[in-house]
Amino acid sequence: MAKISCSNLKKSYGSVEIVRDFNLEVDDHEFVVFLGPSGCGKSTILRMIAGLEDISGGTVAIGGAVVNDLLPRDRNVAMVFQNYALYPHMSVFDNIAFGLRRMKVSTAEIDRRVQDVSAILGLGPYLLRHPTQLSGGQQQRVAIARAMIKTPQVFLFDEPLSNLDAKLRNHMRVEIARLHKRLETTTIYVTHDQLEAMTLGDRIVLLNGGVIEQVGTPAEIYERPRTLFVAGFIGTPNMNLISVTISDGGDRWRATSGALSFAFVRERFDLKDGQKAVLGVRPSNFVEAAPSATDNVVEGTVDLVEYMGDAALLDVAPRSGSSDARQIAVLVEAHRSPRPGAAIRLTFDEGDVHLFDERTGLSLLKPRSN
Amino acid sequence: MRAKNNYLAATFITPTMLVLAVLAFVPTIYAINISLQDRELSGSDANYVGLSNFIQLFSDRRFLNAAFVSLKWELVTVSATMIIAVLLAIMMFEALSPRLRNALSLVFLMPVLLPRVSAAYVWKFAFHPLFGLATYPYKALTGQPLDLLSNPNTALATVALVDAWQWALFFAVIIVKLLETLPPQPFEAAKLDHARTWEIYAYVAIPMLKAPLISLTFVKMIESLRAFDLIYVMTRGGPGITTETLDMYAFSQGFIESGKISYASSMAVLMMIVTTVAFTILWKRVRT
Repeated sequence: MAKISCSNLKKSYGSVEIVRDFNLEVDDHEFVVFLGPSGCGKSTILRMIAGLEDISGGTVAIGGAVVNDLLPRDRNVAMVFQNYALYPHMSVFDNIAFGLRRMKVSTAEIDRRVQDVSAILGLGPYLLRHPTQLSGGQQQRVAIARAMIKTPQVFLFDEPLSNLDAKLRNHMRVEIARLHKRLETTTIYVTHDQLEAMTLGDRIVLLNGGVIEQVGTPAEIYERPRTLFVAGFIGTPNMNLISVTISDGGDRWRATSGALSFAFVRERFDLKDGQKAVLGVRPSNFVEAAPSATDNVVEGTVDLVEYMGDAALLDVAPRSGSSDARQIAVLVEAHRSPRPGAAIRLTFDEGDVHLFDERTGLSLLKPRSN
Repeated sequence: MRAKNNYLAATFITPTMLVLAVLAFVPTIYAINISLQDRELSGSDANYVGLSNFIQLFSDRRFLNAAFVSLKWELVTVSATMIIAVLLAIMMFEALSPRLRNALSLVFLMPVLLPRVSAAYVWKFAFHPLFGLATYPYKALTGQPLDLLSNPNTALATVALVDAWQWALFFAVIIVKLLETLPPQPFEAAKLDHARTWEIYAYVAIPMLKAPLISLTFVKMIESLRAFDLIYVMTRGGPGITTETLDMYAFSQGFIESGKISYASSMAVLMMIVTTVAFTILWKRVRT
């Protein structure tokens, strides 16, 4: 078990910078997820930690020791690849035992440990088969067994579930969570799937263009996105983002966009009169407005209803004088869904609103006092 | 529709196949026919003598020697070619940038493009004891001439070296290209799995290329059987009969020394049968 620290980590190919000044401390036993769109540098960072990619600048330390110049095999890390990367000509047993054989572990010991690991992952009946005779999920389980058996200090997962179909992905996600609970090995898990990130991670590192957008627990990232990018990236369906202009309305801040007008208590946000901002409300935070309500009400027409089982996603065209008014997505319980074409009055709780500076993209929420 | 297609295909293929069949089978049948007679180049009459040519072969010590030399030649050239090719390919793949690798590949292709006879002459001069480039360093250091091609102990190995020079470099290029097509992830997994560089190749890369490497070995085995021109130019089977392979002995029995064309044919027929059987068995065993 070990801590991982990355300080001022950089990666560039020629003049193209893939990763810029990446700093992160991963605690012992922690499960950290690198999340971001493709090309954000998350896999590159993982590969630098593994030693498969040269480090252009900065340091990686595992268990307190800088490993920049160590070969991958000397870093005591194990990695699971997206396409499994099994040795195609070897049986499952030989695949799992490969690392131990290279470490000159005795045959009896190898036998025992392979049996143990394959029992945990339910691979017992398949030990003599070849990888091509297994399903994708089984192959990925072999890859995990191969990583586990070396009892590494650190587990690295590089989009391990991306090649699996949706049902199997859910199943394997639960298995990985269970495995981490049992082994408590420090883990870094790379994914572009926010559901995996939210469910697995103790902490999420959200990356964009080679820099960290936000580091935090899944709840922190969902509830208090630090930047506009995070707000737009996290949450399905996506957060509604509306460009607004802030004005000082005396005891409350007012935000207007065409005919839409919103008001908030002063304490929550750090705003200036005339500031350009982006207002964000998640589709699930909208509720039907009481007839008496006047503030923070969006009136509009339901354009489209997407039925999703428990819930229905409404596409609402706000009644607004300005032409740039965007469609608003609203998530409602399916049995309360209105028909397309119906008029609707929506409102939301003030506490569910996010505001971001339009220029910097940073959240305008005041830091929490606690 | 399908039947019509087949008809069209047959129309185009049949003439070619007929020509090929004539070219392949007529000489073969003719050779078998002659091998059962006692025909000589000096006379026009001949009688059928059954299998007596074949029986005679097995008490011919020069034939047995030639068979042994052929076997040695086969083993030495095939294994040398494959070992050198694999090692060279790995070295190129490990040490060189893709660009340099491509440039070197071009150079490595040249020897095999040379006609075998020219390659043989070039190297015969290079191994010349007095004026040869390859033997010059030895002469300069010791003052003694080095005559590798006239020494019964080194003649076959020296000719084999030329064969390997032509084919190992060519195969190295093919194997480098094969290595480039392999997915990199199993190598990366092996790196994390405590494998040293040589272990990655020995246990992961080369086994992943097993099928193409076996095919290359077969190609080289067939090719090595046809090394007549190379050996003929460089040593003419000498010194003595130390580099006399079966095809060379058959040639000299048939055309050079005694004109015993039937006896020579029986050797050719025997070689054909043995190689067909041997290759069939090997191919079947390797594929299972």
